[in-house]
This record gives sequence, structure tokens and C-alpha cells, in this order.
Amino acid sequence: MKEIMQYINRDSFLHRMNPLSKIAAVTGIIALSVLTTNPVVLAFMVFGIFLASLGAGLQQELLKQVKLLVFLSISLILLTVFTLKSGETVGYLIPAGTLTAGGLVPVTTGALDFGTVLSLRFFAMLFAFQLLVVTTKPSDLMKALLAIHVPVDYVLMFVIALRFIPSLQVEGQRIHEAQLARGYNPGTGLRGKIMSVKPILVPLVANSLGRTQVLGLTMDMRGYRNRQSVEKNKLTWNKTDIAAIGCVAVMGLGVVLGGFM
Amino acid sequence: MIELRNFSYTYGTAASPALKNINLEVRKGELLLVTGHSAAGKTTLALAMAGILHHEIGGKIEGSISFQNRDIKEFDGIKELSRHIGVVFDDAESQLIFTTVEEEILSGLENRGHPKNEIVRRLKEAMDFCEISHLKHRAPHTLSGGQKQKVALAATLALDTEVLILDEATAELDSQAVRKVFSVLKKLKEAGKTIIIVDHNIGDFLEIGDRVVLLEKGEIKAIKNPSDFTANSSDLTSANLTSANLTSANLTSQNFTSSNLTSTSALPTDLPLSRKAGQPIISVKKLTQRYGEVLALDSIDLDIYPGELIAILGENGSGKTTLVKHFNGLLRPYSGNVAVKGLETSTVPINELVKHTGLVFQNPDNMLFEDTVEAEINFGLNNIGVKGPETAGVILHSLELVNLSEKQKVFPRHLSRGERQRLAVACVIAMKPELIVLDEPTTGLDAEESDRMMQLMRKLQQEGHTIVMVTHNLQIVRDHVERVIRMESGKIVEDSVNRKFSGKGPVDEENVYGEHVSKESVSKECAKGGTCA
Repeated sequence: MKEIMQYINRDSFLHRMNPLSKIAAVTGIIALSVLTTNPVVLAFMVFGIFLASLGAGLQQELLKQVKLLVFLSISLILLTVFTLKSGETVGYLIPAGTLTAGGLVPVTTGALDFGTVLSLRFFAMLFAFQLLVVTTKPSDLMKALLAIHVPVDYVLMFVIALRFIPSLQVEGQRIHEAQLARGYNPGTGLRGKIMSVKPILVPLVANSLGRTQVLGLTMDMRGYRNRQSVEKNKLTWNKTDIAAIGCVAVMGLGVVLGGFM
Repeated sequence: MIELRNFSYTYGTAASPALKNINLEVRKGELLLVTGHSAAGKTTLALAMAGILHHEIGGKIEGSISFQNRDIKEFDGIKELSRHIGVVFDDAESQLIFTTVEEEILSGLENRGHPKNEIVRRLKEAMDFCEISHLKHRAPHTLSGGQKQKVALAATLALDTEVLILDEATAELDSQAVRKVFSVLKKLKEAGKTIIIVDHNIGDFLEIGDRVVLLEKGEIKAIKNPSDFTANSSDLTSANLTSANLTSANLTSQNFTSSNLTSTSALPTDLPLSRKAGQPIISVKKLTQRYGEVLALDSIDLDIYPGELIAILGENGSGKTTLVKHFNGLLRPYSGNVAVKGLETSTVPINELVKHTGLVFQNPDNMLFEDTVEAEINFGLNNIGVKGPETAGVILHSLELVNLSEKQKVFPRHLSRGERQRLAVACVIAMKPELIVLDEPTTGLDAEESDRMMQLMRKLQQEGHTIVMVTHNLQIVRDHVERVIRMESGKIVEDSVNRKFSGKGPVDEENVYGEHVSKESVSKECAKGGTCA
């Protein structure tokens, strides 16, 4: 089964990096991709992240997401084409002469630009976040987040959310099988699709909710609410960390300066 | 160590108390066994002793509990109590927070701030104890139920608390793994730990137990010496302490004595004869199944004939469930073939196959989603095209079979675990498949409920169904099943007729039901398979 957003136990330069610097870099990338509207900068960032994944041999993980991202991009570009009209008109979505003489839904450069920027932002954010998650052990991620004083409850929420993605996938599969054994036949068409969700979703949600109490108790039993000093488990820094932070910082500087010029 | 004085407890939303007037002192270094029927208050008692009722759940509390001579209320919540008391709950999945087994065990140790070498030592020890070192880097969702329980146990053991409470923590373990837990607990007891085991089936732990507390309807019915339980059979039956009583008093009272049992199933008893008669209902030829690199099934050949009652046995991960998923087309053969009533599963669609094979999974909660019991059964009927007025009769009949006819309009998730399990069976039998396959039908059920489930199997067999069950409950297999298939790493290593039903000499009741014999036969099986540690 395809696993999404799970730690991959390997040894690469990304794995050896300090989780804190990775978090800093990812935060930086996310902030930058929101701040900049320059498609070249964004494309450069996406390219950079992809190079990093190549270096770590994790490009396959990123490529898995491309299908989803391309779908998202097309939707976003269509959305902007429909809603945004600025710049020059390069053509019409429904060409002139088919339905009306003048053509319908003008495609403008402003819309295309904006759609592209939005898409590239998603590429950059998702790729960066995914590299962080697949190369950092959840427990290290947790230590790092706690070290920068993110409240323990939020950290636990985050880690548990990651942890239960595949479990929900497995359980969904199991429920699907149990319903198939009862002759469940997912309907066709939109209505059928929506109706067929109930036999899967109801048990899935009910089972998950039933699990929360034991989960909470277990965390308390492991002492998450009164942690002892974690000094002994201090995370170490290496050259890659400094390089990564440096890269993001330089890019940030570039974006800021670029904004003034 | 832990002392309960006139302790009564009512859950916030409940009308009647879950525990009534409990007086109990758990001594330091003691191994206390707590048992009773479902809903007798076992889990509530475990939560009470861990201080969880006071600090986490709330509700109406009367009387007092003290831990090490200090009122449990005075502790600074679970965060302080958990330094002294470790609890392993029955739901293993929810106790695994991290993405690898190693992290799972490390997490608690690191939070406690132990020095590095101490952490490494304890990690290794806990993993060795529970035999999970080879799973170190595996993610929890890739583990089997039994493996998850072992990890949950290891994570708690590593914390090395003075008190250890196990609440049905071994339900999904096979016999071999339970023996291992047994020896671990024995060592811990020798090291002076206080251990409380809460389980509906404490048979495996009687040998190391100091006292047995028997709960009934929220009250302590008796506190006994473990040896009294094995010796005195009337205790056994009244208390439902081991699954041994499955066949004794309960069955007799329902006009189902063992002699009756053999005679009612006269035809299938003589297996070789029934095998000759007719075509097999399931025919498996050279079936191989792979999950990635793992060879889950290795060239299986098997024929199942109409009217048989078969058990498929095997340790966790031996391929049992994988095999039965081929019987209704949930899995298609990687190579080889499977025919259900002559229909090749590789070509016939699954919604056609389910008319012939009904598969009931281990966890009924994975299929119940409707608002009433009735609607739940109707779902399956509609799926195979049974509609209109005739459904009412079919629903009623299947509910009668599973003894739930009173519950037609009830919300399924309000039923007890045993009732939900039986409802799951009803959902499948309403579709009138010739073959009914049950995956671990008695897991999570107490002896009385398991017994009811097995009677239901017998009844269905008499109605002409063929029954295959996947189980690791040896007692049930010995008492109820005619043909036993044992699997090991994807292969069938044994396919034999149960001695009890084969007609070869009289069955010695004592030997069949005696606790010591069951252990002996377990080790014999181990010796044969050559896998036991």
C-alpha cells in the first residue's frame, strides 16, 4: 500500500541534519513562498528542493505527489482564469466561433501568472514539508518542536496526526473488505459515490473516536506532561544544517531586496 | 500497596454503579488476578486502581483508594501516579503513538530523563523480554494484532514501575506468546513487582497468581487461592474462570452435552466418508500469495467439503487470514487457483462470490454503520438483490438464530461486544451463503459469550452450512471442531481429524479439559512445528 507522509528509515544527508534546522528551513521556505509573487524565485525554490531530494535519494517520494499537485495546479489555473481578468488577453477558453462569435472566458496573462504562482507555492510547500517528515523521526521532530517551546499538546497532536495516517488507511481498507464481504457495491455517478461513503466512513470515524481515551491515557502514562530535562538528548548540529539555514536565509534576503528594487 | 475501602463507582452517564462496595488490599509483591464476565466491572476496577477514575474520568465516587498509604486523590494526577503504576490496556493500536517500535519504547524512557546508557539497557531488555527486537524499525501499522500487544507491553515494562496492571493485554496473543509473557511476569514477580492481571480468561496465569478476585455485577463475589480454582470444578463453572467450562456445565444446561454433540453431528463425524460424498465447496490448488517480498501463502492445496466444521490454527502471522480472504475473492491468487462451488475466484466478481461465502471479520465494529440492527442486516440483503417484503422474514430468522430477536430496533453500537459479534454473524447468514468463514470469532469474548458463539456455529452446521473458523483458541478447537488445519509460515503443516470426533476410543473428559493437558499439547505442537523458543 502507498504510504503517505511517513518517516523513511534511511541514511542520507537530510536524515543526518538537525531537526531544528530542517524545521527552520521548511518554515523559511513556506514563509518565502507566501511572500514572493515572483514565479522565477518560486520555480528556483522548487528546483532546489528537488535537487536536495535527489541528493538524498528521496526523489521518488516527491514524485509520488506530482499527480496530486498537477491536478491541483490545473484546478487553480482554471479557477484564476475564470475569476481573474488582468493583463493581456491571450485567447479564449471556448474559442471564437464555437458558441459565440467573440469567444467565451478570456484567458489573460494576469490570471495565468497568478495561477502559476499559486501552483508553484503549493509545490514548494508540500515538497519541503514532505522532505521534513520523511527524513525526521517523529520522536526527533517532537523533541525539536518542544525545544522551541511549541506547547506539548500541539506537538502531540501533530505527531499523532502523522502517526495515524497509515493506520486510518489500513483500517479503511479493512472496513472496505468487511463491507465487500457483505456484497457492498460502491455506486456509480456522483450520487452513488456520496451514498457509498457512509458504510466506510461511519465505522472509521466511530472507531477513531473510541480510541481517543486510551491514546490520551497512554501519553500521560509515558510522562509527556511532565517531561524531565532533555539536555542529555540534545540534538547536534552539523555543516549541512548551517548550509541549509544559510541557503534559505540568502533566498529570503534576495526576495526582500528584490521587493525593494 | 493499593487499598480500596468501601469503594463504589458510577460512570457519569450511567444509571447503576459499575463497582459496588469494593474492599480490597493489594499487597506489595503480590500477583493478583482479577476475573469475571463481561461487564462485571473488571476494567473499571483496573482504572480505579491506577487512579484513572479519580484523575481522568470523573463520575460518582464513594469510599476511598489509597496508594502506598496515601489517598490516591492527593497525587498530582496521572503524571505523578504513572511513575509508580504502569497500565497496559487491551486496545494495543491506541497505545502505539510513534512510527517505529524502537521509538515507542524509547519515548517513555526519555521523558523520564534516565541517563543514556540506562535507556539503552532498558530498551534492549524490554525488547528481549517481549521478543520484538527484530521488529525494532517496523511501523506500528505494519504489525499484527499480537505483535502490537507485545510492543505495548514492552513500552510499559521498560518504564519499570513498581505496579503493573494488565487489562486484557494478552487477548490477541497466540499460546506461544502468552507463555512468554507468563515467564516475563514470573521474573518481574521475583524481582518484587506488584502485578495485577485483569482478564476474562486467567487460566494461563493461575500458576503464578497469589490470589484470584472474582467480580460479578460490580461486586467482589469471592477472593480465592488460585489452586482452588483448578482443583474445584464447581468454581470453574460458576465463575467462568477458564474456557474449560465451555463444554461442561453451560453446554449441559442447554441440552448440549458432549455425547449429544457427537451424535447430532453424526455425518460430519465420520470425516473420510463425508469427504467422499460430493464435490468440495472450496477447492484450493497450489495457491501462492505474496505481499511484496513476503511470501504469505506458499503453494497451498486444500479441499473443503459441504457440512464440515473446520478450524484453521496457527501462530500470529502464519497466513490464516490471508488464506480465508481467498475464499470470497477479497484476494485473488498470485499463482495457483481457488474455486468456490466451481467458480474460479480469479474471474468471478466478488459480489457474486459473497452469495456463496460469508466472511465474518474479527472486529464487528469494522462493519456496523446503520442506525438499527434490522437495517444492518438489510444492507447485505439489498446488496445481493433481496428486496421487498421477504426481507422482514429473513431478518427475523437470522436474528433468532443468533439470539438477538429482541434487539431489532436497537442501535448496533449500543450492543455488548458479544452481541455485536453475533450481529456480524447474522448479517452474513442472512445472505444465506453455503460457506461461513469466521476470523477469530471468540477474541474479546468471555467464556460464556464464546460458548454461545460456538453453539451458534453448531446450529448453523446443522442447518446445512459449512463452517471454517480461524482461531488460536485451542480449547475451542478441541471441544467443538472436527477437522483441524494448522498453518505455519504460509504452509499447511497439519490437516487432521479431531481425536474427539474421530471415534477412535472414548475421550477422557479429565484429560481433554484439564489445564495441564492443554499446556502439554501446546508444547507438543511446538515440538512438532519446531518453532517454539
